[in-house]
Amino acid sequence: MTLDHALIDELLAVRSLGGLDGDDAHLLERELAAHGDCDECRRLEAEHAEVAGMLALSLDPRPVDEGIADRIVAQEQRPERRPERTATAPADELSVRRDARLGRWQAAFGVAAAVALVLAFVLATRPSGGVHVPDTIVAFEGAPGELAMAYTPGERGALVWGAGLPDPGGGMVYELWMIEDGNPVRGACLAPTEGAVATYLDADLSSAELMAVTVESTDCPSAPTTDPVFTAALA
Amino acid sequence: MGSAETAGTADEALLLRVGAGDEGAFRELFARYTAVSHALAFRLVRQAQVAEEIVQEAFLAVWRTPERYDPARGSVRSWLMGTVHHRAVDAVRREQAQRRRADQAAASAPRVAEDPIDDVVSALDLPRERRLVQKALAGLPDEQRDVIQRMYFDGMSQSQIAERTGLPLGTVKSRTLLAMRRLRSHLGEVSP
Repeated sequence: MTLDHALIDELLAVRSLGGLDGDDAHLLERELAAHGDCDECRRLEAEHAEVAGMLALSLDPRPVDEGIADRIVAQEQRPERRPERTATAPADELSVRRDARLGRWQAAFGVAAAVALVLAFVLATRPSGGVHVPDTIVAFEGAPGELAMAYTPGERGALVWGAGLPDPGGGMVYELWMIEDGNPVRGACLAPTEGAVATYLDADLSSAELMAVTVESTDCPSAPTTDPVFTAALA
Repeated sequence: MGSAETAGTADEALLLRVGAGDEGAFRELFARYTAVSHALAFRLVRQAQVAEEIVQEAFLAVWRTPERYDPARGSVRSWLMGTVHHRAVDAVRREQAQRRRADQAAASAPRVAEDPIDDVVSALDLPRERRLVQKALAGLPDEQRDVIQRMYFDGMSQSQIAERTGLPLGTVKSRTLLAMRRLRSHLGEVSP
């Protein structure tokens, strides 16, 4: 690992364009974890994201059906305004597929349970510099092997580690998701080495009710394509 | 830079209002960025229906969970475009075979009229921004522009580009970084 930003700069540039894959995706995770709470890393990430976002402006705009906004607002009422989802099936196919996915995730939510583990692991595994010592540890339930996460509720970041995990298969990795209001938000990709994983998750967990792990391609998709193999409910 | 700054500030204000459940704010954000989002998604997936679904899902996520936006990681615009791009790239990589079929259809399809909604997006100064971004892209050395085109607009990974072009992977990455730095220096005035 390096403590300068040259490697991170290069890998973030590629990631901002959607091109990062293979070992470099994991290398970037490790480098970012090693840098911990790093202002320069965030600055580089924002800078590359900004340039990447501007590239889309070079294209000729394509109007969309104005009814899309109506459908989103009408069918997807925000939870705070309509706490209970309607039992009526949405009319469009997209919503039907989405609800089916949500159903699987919500079912997984009911299976998960938080279990406290040994805090000493945290001190041994946390990256150096700028990371607070987590005060809460949860164990994941699911596939064979052990997977746990240490974090502090209300604070950014978490340590995730595991052992005895099954090989996800050729060209596949484990992907960690934060479930917020029933929706999966990408966390990190985990490629086990002899069944073991350890990574620092640089993410805001304050809105997450549940953590879940799926088996995904090494491209680490931004939305899960398979059902969870591990879940853990958060406090 | 003034108009871009104003747009960026206005975007954040709109997103705050979306967070409070303001449908009008959501519709305004939708009107500002769906045409560009749709163009980006269509450029990648080459299928109108899939592109529209990607846009719908992206803005659905904006409506449901606007709090996912983190100002420390860039502007609202870059967040939105990143969301759309990620979804479109995922679709491309899942549907490689389907895309090959669609490429043939796109090649024979009539070209969409240029700037059909300039009146809608003029408040955001997009036509001017489009010219600036196009100029910045055109100003890149050919080998750098090629990497950007393949990676961002065609959805290819660094490994796929290396394999397709025969370049060492390290060269693909270094060209990407150089291109991004050059674009950044030319596009500073477009940043929100």
